[in-house]
Amino acid sequence: MSTITDEGKKIELYIPSIMGFEKVAMECAASIAKIMGFNDDRIDDLKTAVSEACLNAIEHGHGMNASLKVGITITMAESSLQVAVHDKGGGIGQIDLPVIENKIEDESNTRGWGIFLIKNLMDEVKFEKTAEGKNVVRMIINLKKRSEGQGSDIPEKS
Amino acid sequence: MNRDIEISVSKNNDVSILNIKGDVTAVTGEKLEDAYEKISAEGAKKILLLFDKESYINSGGIAFLISVASESKKREQSIRLTGLSEHFQKIFHMVGLTKYMSLFPSEESALDGF
Repeated sequence: MSTITDEGKKIELYIPSIMGFEKVAMECAASIAKIMGFNDDRIDDLKTAVSEACLNAIEHGHGMNASLKVGITITMAESSLQVAVHDKGGGIGQIDLPVIENKIEDESNTRGWGIFLIKNLMDEVKFEKTAEGKNVVRMIINLKKRSEGQGSDIPEKS
Repeated sequence: MNRDIEISVSKNNDVSILNIKGDVTAVTGEKLEDAYEKISAEGAKKILLLFDKESYINSGGIAFLISVASESKKREQSIRLTGLSEHFQKIFHMVGLTKYMSLFPSEESALDGF
């Protein structure tokens, strides 16, 4: 890459609150991660995390109101990539992470895995509320961490 | 925007195989559940879910798979999985789905001894 300014390290996009458009943000983040040199495993982790953050914004933040846009800000740093997904919703508040055994027993509510996946796949995750009232999920993925020795058979988290 | 899902059903001896092509999401998951209900109504006890390595699977799709796992437990069915990319194998382990559906590296190995 040729010399890039600080402002140039920030990429912003907006998607309508329609299921399926999360893929636009997901592929954009993946393309940037590839340019930065992330390996394929970590790019797959990033894709799932970005997709889930956008889905939460589309569904819960905006109630699938297609006229509301979900904003995605992707910031490249020396050794990490940050993705901030913002919506105009009220935020997620305190949520209990799901447990599969409970979901298997109570089939009426099998959903709610988005935050769980984001927290498990990203190196840092923050949930913030801006002064303008926007709800932001800020995720950071590091170039080096978890890049090696992580096969498909990772231990299950309880 | 979601790539649609295509599900075809085949049999190998007493194993019912659901061949799943495309995205598994909150939008398409119902078709997967319908296909599962159909083979269950026909008496399937051994089921192989054959995924597409290129598939996009999100939390909405995972929720449908948990419903299938829950139903299969009540119906005393056995479910095996194959064809998932390494990433989604990892995700299925993470979520805990592999406690209820056994993961196999290939269709042949999944059918072997089923």
